Amino acid sequence: MGPPDCCRDAVVVVMRLLAIETATDLVGSALLSDVHAADHLSDVHAADHAGVPAVVERSHLGGRAHAELLAPSIEEVCALAGCPLADVDALAVDIGPGLFTGLRVGVGTAKALGQSLGLGIVGVTSLDILAAAAFEAVAAGDRPDRARRVVSVVDARRSEVFAASYEMGAATEDPANTCRDQSEPLTPDALIDWLDELVAEASPILVVGDGAVRYFDLLAPRRGLDLGLAESVATPSPAALARLAARRLAAGAVAQPAGDLVPDYRRPPDAKINWEERAPQRVARPEVDNP
Amino acid sequence: MAHSDSQPAGVRPVRRVLGIETSCDETAASVIEDGTTIVSSVVSSQIDLHARYGGVVPELAGRAHVELLTPVIDDALTQAGSDRTGVGIDGIAVTCGPGLIGSLLVGVAEAKALSMAWGIPFIGVNHLEAHLFASLLEQPDLGWPLVVLLVSGGHTMLIEVTSPGQYRIMGGTIDDAAGEAFDKVARFIGLGYPGGPAIDRIAIEGDARSYAFPRSLPGDAYDFSFSGLKTSVVNRVRKEPDAATADIAASFQEAVVDVLVSRARQAAADVGARAICLAGGVAANSLLRTRIEEACADDGIGAFLPSRALCTDNAAMVAAAGYWHLARGERSPLDLGANPNLRLVSTA
Ligand SMILES: [Zn+2]
Repeated sequence: MGPPDCCRDAVVVVMRLLAIETATDLVGSALLSDVHAADHLSDVHAADHAGVPAVVERSHLGGRAHAELLAPSIEEVCALAGCPLADVDALAVDIGPGLFTGLRVGVGTAKALGQSLGLGIVGVTSLDILAAAAFEAVAAGDRPDRARRVVSVVDARRSEVFAASYEMGAATEDPANTCRDQSEPLTPDALIDWLDELVAEASPILVVGDGAVRYFDLLAPRRGLDLGLAESVATPSPAALARLAARRLAAGAVAQPAGDLVPDYRRPPDAKINWEERAPQRVARPEVDNP
Repeated sequence: MAHSDSQPAGVRPVRRVLGIETSCDETAASVIEDGTTIVSSVVSSQIDLHARYGGVVPELAGRAHVELLTPVIDDALTQAGSDRTGVGIDGIAVTCGPGLIGSLLVGVAEAKALSMAWGIPFIGVNHLEAHLFASLLEQPDLGWPLVVLLVSGGHTMLIEVTSPGQYRIMGGTIDDAAGEAFDKVARFIGLGYPGGPAIDRIAIEGDARSYAFPRSLPGDAYDFSFSGLKTSVVNRVRKEPDAATADIAASFQEAVVDVLVSRARQAAADVGARAICLAGGVAANSLLRTRIEEACADDGIGAFLPSRALCTDNAAMVAAAGYWHLARGERSPLDLGANPNLRLVSTA
């Protein structure tokens, strides 16, 4: 896809952004192509071409086959968009929280692509992507737009969730502007308590994410909560990530160097070690807490 | 490992291969040329990270690989006179098993990304096969057949190699790996982690005849067992808490090496091997190296002892094994995954 006809002779900027998503059971990538008029053209002219950028997405509900599914999906979106990897000029990846091995596959892939293509990477949290997708869905009329807030809930396994709250915004707004983040995993009971506090401030609250699906029966009866988008916005999508990352770049966000990017695990690593064979009389017992 | 078959006509021949290794607690990358010349080899060890736990913590290892692999690959490329665009690199080889799943996946994911970005083929390599290729890096004209004694923290195996790519597993451990026994005993007697080098060092000051620890030779002619030996050391130290650590270490090491050497020697005799080859981290043990050399000299066969840096996990050996497969036209598909239990099988 080239620049629109009226821009043939003008200077246009085409941004092609590859987005990588592996934080939950959904694995895939998206390639976003955005055509902007360059700065010297009139705002009116630029506005003609503003709007929804073209996004090609390939994703799979892959269970735990993140490594198997991700690379072929990248190859596919590049082929579908007619954009070889060498022509990509921005990278984005979901940095979590989510599945640890999924995050390592996604972030590792993004880092190696950033390294080899000489590109920085926009890291976005899974919770922000879910909120952005909820904003988009409401704007598209998938849900009456009376919700005052969106709460993203990602299943953290082991009977816990990761969660963050956002004030309801327009489809083009960056949810991070109003993010209230629970930086630690929560038990379902702690989530309920927190949601009750939020409902007291403003309701209804749209609850989205695979954590909302998992604890649907617990959440659905609660006053002030709207779970109408829980199923359709259950997993962060590569396309939603691509659009949010592109908006961040357009707003002046600086991509991170590939070497610096790390997943946002939000949970210390398990360090279960078998101490049974340690001779207590000889060796001082080191702390067994998590690092 | 699923490989697509032949290479399309007109592709450039594979000369330089980038190897990537992340199966356990070493993050490594290397560039080798024509299968045998090491142009660069970078190994970033996570030993300090795991030392306070007395062993490799899988989740810590996986996280560390994500942080370390990019700079390690960068160093390996720069030292080889290449750059981020992979100039001069014709193929990529990556360990895809066996090992820790969360660690293997990091290497596999990054290898595929580089392969796509650079437009060059990649191949998934069996970590055990890579260990076998470590000796070929230093002695390209090994005689066949060979018996390889592969001893590390995760493996203890006797493998007959009739030619490159043709393997027969003759036997293995029925409980602990030899390196695991070293780690557990070292931890118990307060020598810290990793146990192999610590025991190797202190054993020199001890008397190996102080304690007659059992030499367990399980029924199957080429199998090993080290858990009885480990228990025997533990019981001895509990009974005699003031025993000299160096004597315990020396006697334990002697028992392990006795068993390894006698089994390897028997295997070599039975298949008419031209040589015994050591591989794996425990192959860096001084006593094992000396004893294998002596035994092979007595038996009139060769002894191949890779340098210590090539015994422990590294990416040059991965690149060497990958080179051999790539040169035969084999490629891995983009949907290759990691297999923590990948078995060593012959290539037809
Ligand atoms: Zn190894």
